[in-house]
Amino acid sequence: MTLSQKQKQYLMEFFRILAVILIALALGFLITLLVSEEPVQAFKELLTGPLPKISWTEAGLKIRGINRFGNWLEDSITLILVGLAVAVVFRAKQFSLGAEGQIYLGALAAGIISLHTSAPAFIHITLALLAAAGAGFVWGLIPGILKAYVNADEIVSTLMLNVIAVQIYRLLLIQWLRNPDYGYIATDFFPETAVLPLVIPGTRVTIALFLTIIAVVATWFLMTRTPLGYEIRVVGDNLKFARYGGINTRRVIALSMAVSGILAGLAGAHLSMGILKQLTLNISFGIGFEGIVVALLARNDPKAVPLAGLFYGYLRTGAQIMERSSDVTREVVLIIQAIIIILITAERVLPLIQQWRMRRKLPQELSADHSEAAHVA
Amino acid sequence: MSLDTVLGSIFTVAFIATIIRISTPLILPALGGLISELAGVINIALEGLMLVAAFLGVVVGAYSAQWFPGWPGWVYPWLGALAGILVSLVLAWLLAFVHLELGADIILAALAINILAQGGTVFVMFALTGDKGSTSTLASPALPNIVIPFVNRIPVLGVLFNAENMTGYNIMTYAALVLTVLVWFVLYRMPFGAHLRAVGENPEAAASVGINVRRVQYTAILLSGLLAALGGLNLSMGYLTIFQANMTAGRGFIALAAVYLGNRNPIGTVIAAVIFGAATALGAQMGTLNVPPQYIEMIPPFVTIAALVIYNLRRQAQLAANARKFQDKLEQEHGAG
Amino acid sequence: MPPFVEMRDIVKIYPNGVVANRGVHFSVEKGEIHALVGENGAGKTTLMKILYGMEHPTAGQIFLEGRPVRIQNPHQAIDLGIGMVHQNFMLIPSFTIAQNIVLGQEPRRGRFIDFEAAARLTTELSQTYGLQVDPQARVEATPVGMRQRVEILKTLYRGANLLILDEPTAVLTPQETADLFRAVRRLVAEGKTVIFITHKLVEVKQIADRVTVMRHGEVTGEALRTADVSEADIAQLMVGRKVLFRIEKPPQQRGPAVAQVRDLSYISETGRPLLREVSFNVYAGEILGIAGVEGNGQTELAEVLSGLKPPTTGQALVNGRPVLGKGPRQVRQAGVAHIPEDRLTNGVALDASIADNLVVDRYFRPPFTRRGVMYPRLIRRHARDLMHRFDIRAASEESPVKSLSGGNMQKVIVAREFSSEPALLIAAQPTRGIDIGAAEFVRQQLVQKRNEGKAVLLISADLAEVMSLADRIAVMFKGRIVGIFQNGPDITEEELGLYMLGLKQQSPDEIETLQ
Repeated sequence: MTLSQKQKQYLMEFFRILAVILIALALGFLITLLVSEEPVQAFKELLTGPLPKISWTEAGLKIRGINRFGNWLEDSITLILVGLAVAVVFRAKQFSLGAEGQIYLGALAAGIISLHTSAPAFIHITLALLAAAGAGFVWGLIPGILKAYVNADEIVSTLMLNVIAVQIYRLLLIQWLRNPDYGYIATDFFPETAVLPLVIPGTRVTIALFLTIIAVVATWFLMTRTPLGYEIRVVGDNLKFARYGGINTRRVIALSMAVSGILAGLAGAHLSMGILKQLTLNISFGIGFEGIVVALLARNDPKAVPLAGLFYGYLRTGAQIMERSSDVTREVVLIIQAIIIILITAERVLPLIQQWRMRRKLPQELSADHSEAAHVA
Repeated sequence: MSLDTVLGSIFTVAFIATIIRISTPLILPALGGLISELAGVINIALEGLMLVAAFLGVVVGAYSAQWFPGWPGWVYPWLGALAGILVSLVLAWLLAFVHLELGADIILAALAINILAQGGTVFVMFALTGDKGSTSTLASPALPNIVIPFVNRIPVLGVLFNAENMTGYNIMTYAALVLTVLVWFVLYRMPFGAHLRAVGENPEAAASVGINVRRVQYTAILLSGLLAALGGLNLSMGYLTIFQANMTAGRGFIALAAVYLGNRNPIGTVIAAVIFGAATALGAQMGTLNVPPQYIEMIPPFVTIAALVIYNLRRQAQLAANARKFQDKLEQEHGAG
Repeated sequence: MPPFVEMRDIVKIYPNGVVANRGVHFSVEKGEIHALVGENGAGKTTLMKILYGMEHPTAGQIFLEGRPVRIQNPHQAIDLGIGMVHQNFMLIPSFTIAQNIVLGQEPRRGRFIDFEAAARLTTELSQTYGLQVDPQARVEATPVGMRQRVEILKTLYRGANLLILDEPTAVLTPQETADLFRAVRRLVAEGKTVIFITHKLVEVKQIADRVTVMRHGEVTGEALRTADVSEADIAQLMVGRKVLFRIEKPPQQRGPAVAQVRDLSYISETGRPLLREVSFNVYAGEILGIAGVEGNGQTELAEVLSGLKPPTTGQALVNGRPVLGKGPRQVRQAGVAHIPEDRLTNGVALDASIADNLVVDRYFRPPFTRRGVMYPRLIRRHARDLMHRFDIRAASEESPVKSLSGGNMQKVIVAREFSSEPALLIAAQPTRGIDIGAAEFVRQQLVQKRNEGKAVLLISADLAEVMSLADRIAVMFKGRIVGIFQNGPDITEEELGLYMLGLKQQSPDEIETLQ
């Protein structure tokens, strides 16, 4: 079988990322060696923990650890949704870091609908999900419009909007939504009509699983099968070319951030309606930023996001199990994550070979054009 | 509590003292953020750099008492501070290295540093103390306060200069004061500062007169690491005397906002940082009035966004005005010709 | 006595094979003003960049007062007393003029910059050489003429004895130009040597003692005394070359006016008028060539007409529909296609596939998009079809455009723009920097469009190209159309050259009858 050029590229990219992951894991193991009495055991838990243990006994097939497996899927669902959100904006070369705030407001909107309206389950859930998506959309549209029409730097504006979103969430939670009888700050549990139905018993894996699959397909469809997706890609590749071709670049920039907000808002709904089933003071614990590593691992390709999300979710779940059953905390995963980000973004380290190959073909012509431009200038 | 008492407590010297204390860990990293921003390398890793410095300051400060028994007690916190500064510098260097040498995007690399700091501090804390929340099991050292002599007897000045309990401000508060002036002088009066601003504004022009652009940017990122470290040390060895997981709580980002709100100059940046500090102090007071503190917490980010928008709108308006002016000129010429 | 500067047998071949200098000999005497003239692309800037250490020669030697020197970088050039004033100024806008002048070599008092000394040194230098500047003014608030004086003072502050001025008058008003000339004479009187790059022949006679003319990377007139040559002689040396190619063109079938442009003016954001009351028609079945030395408004003409820049005043109709002030999408819908001058910036997305690059103007229309759904398979098929028709050589239609050669990259643009069936095709520098085969192909395509009855606006700095392709030729100078001609055997390059250099101009009435 011969591979097309595109397939070869994919394959190379895959191995590059695999190499990054292996290096990061190895460094993580080295760090564990320094602090742990039982590093091998700890790392074994990290790497195998999330898998259910299947064994044959006299009583027949026995599956243990289904809840661990569930934790993995639950976490991956959040990561995949946020990863998709980040992949969309990053593909448009917009450095929106606003997923965190959108998650909070998505959860909040879903929570308000859940607690303060009543309807049959299907309608109730649909409404709550739509509210979450809408909240995320709006919270993405704001920095999008600020960037597109006022040229306000999206890094600063989204970081600030994150702070505002968390404060709005807390304000409404504490002042209005909370149940004062609880010893901690939280709302009532959502009514059954507004809790996402379970899919795997013994876990908290809900129909959010299917929603996520739909979201992946929808995002893939958006990016490859719709004019807006094409526009987002072209704007990300070369803004001036997009303008020259007649694309309304401002609209595309604003929409890319807003669409990304929808996905992050849905991640918030998954957290509140599927996992917690209530609103608590903290819901996201910075997962909005973890979406960045997922998008980076997936190279902003929606098709690859599930794989990246499942991988990273696996690592996070494994880390929790490791923490429970060894003397190493789950934060080792954050260290691994940081190493992954640095290695993937440090362009000149790993693709040296690729670059070297390109250099022989391409920049000579580029430099020719540059020298011409220099003449003109 | 009635509004009167709240107002009364706001318009007191003690309130000013509170603002000063709250602003210190914002001013220091903000100055750091300013330096790297002016050199054309935005540093959003301030948060993480503060965090590692705060952590290592406490840990090394506490452990050095075991490692070097018999040394005078005042030395230990300084050993901690030194360690905190060093580790912040190492991470700042890493950021500079992967960005300037390896071509990593500086935003993403800085996010990685923040994540590394967040995870690394908890990871090591747990390995050392078995606690993931705080270092409460360690005997936490503090950096000294400075008490201004003789003013305690004078009613208003005593509180103003030596804080509410006449115990003085942390030494980092004075460091912030001195460094504000120093940063201003370096940036606007010394060759290095001129080179730094030139690099940020027009790197090509800077290079054309023989300025080593990369070296200047390295230095700027390292300096921002140093200043962020001082802010972090203030948090864990002055403002509080304990390290708590994620205790910076977004101060690094607020500090960065102060840079933009302060129009990218030291005086403006410090004023913006103090405004943010005052907002937080006010929030604490409002809490007693049943005004939710969340309103107050929203002020800094909101003001920053507003400043960002106003700045850009004004620039657009200016360009539009220019265009109109040229058009008028052209029409006049046309009419005359 | 050996010459002050001597460059011998300089050859510069860029890695892609473009030959910028073919054995150039260039020498300058101490204390003279030496003009270096030639069209864009003649190799004069490359030659000076070699002297300033910004480029390294492929072969050849440089001598300074008889001593061989190697100049690796601008730093060494500065140490050797060579200073260069670039066209795009290398200044820090927020700094004062004095600060800019001393930047990198600040006078100090202890650890601090001695601002007083900086201002004093600036004033002294400025008085010595008659270059008036306000040391305390911020550069961003000063006019272009003063910025240029700052650049000159910067080189003098660093001890330059030889100043290279790269087209210094391009951005100046006549008054500022006069001031500059006075200052340059003063510099020479103070013992400096000046190399003056220009393509304005009037200036050569005005300011220079001697002139070296370059064309196509070669010296065609070496160190001529300006007293001994006429402007027309110099023009001849600059543009007088043989036409290298002839394109077979059937006789013209001219139709109605497709594009009507009236009184189009454009002023840049910095207030420079770049187009002044430009009026012309382009008729169906004709190629209207715009000739002119680059930088006389042609770039802006293409960008304003295609919707990339907003016009300041004026009107333009394409097939009777107004297009000025509309965005690129509406302009394209009115039937305009555009081969942009700066193809890497505007013409392609390097990281995107060939297929995606070929539909940027039509992805939203059937068959590519129907009812909001895009069909990549059809986009790829469309790409394969165009690659075949336009002979684009690539591994596959999914290859990123950056993997293509310059010629094939341009063919991608040509394929897209030509296949959009435009009524008016604007082609800006369509054959620049691409191999001969691809250039020939592009030219034939242009003629074919004309034969099909389309209107073609060809903007090219290559006079031979304009003369061999165009049915009519309009010459632009300083943002105006200064002459418009029916192309024919009686039109000579020498004659056009005089218009291009601003030495001749038709009367407004003449222009109007031919527009």
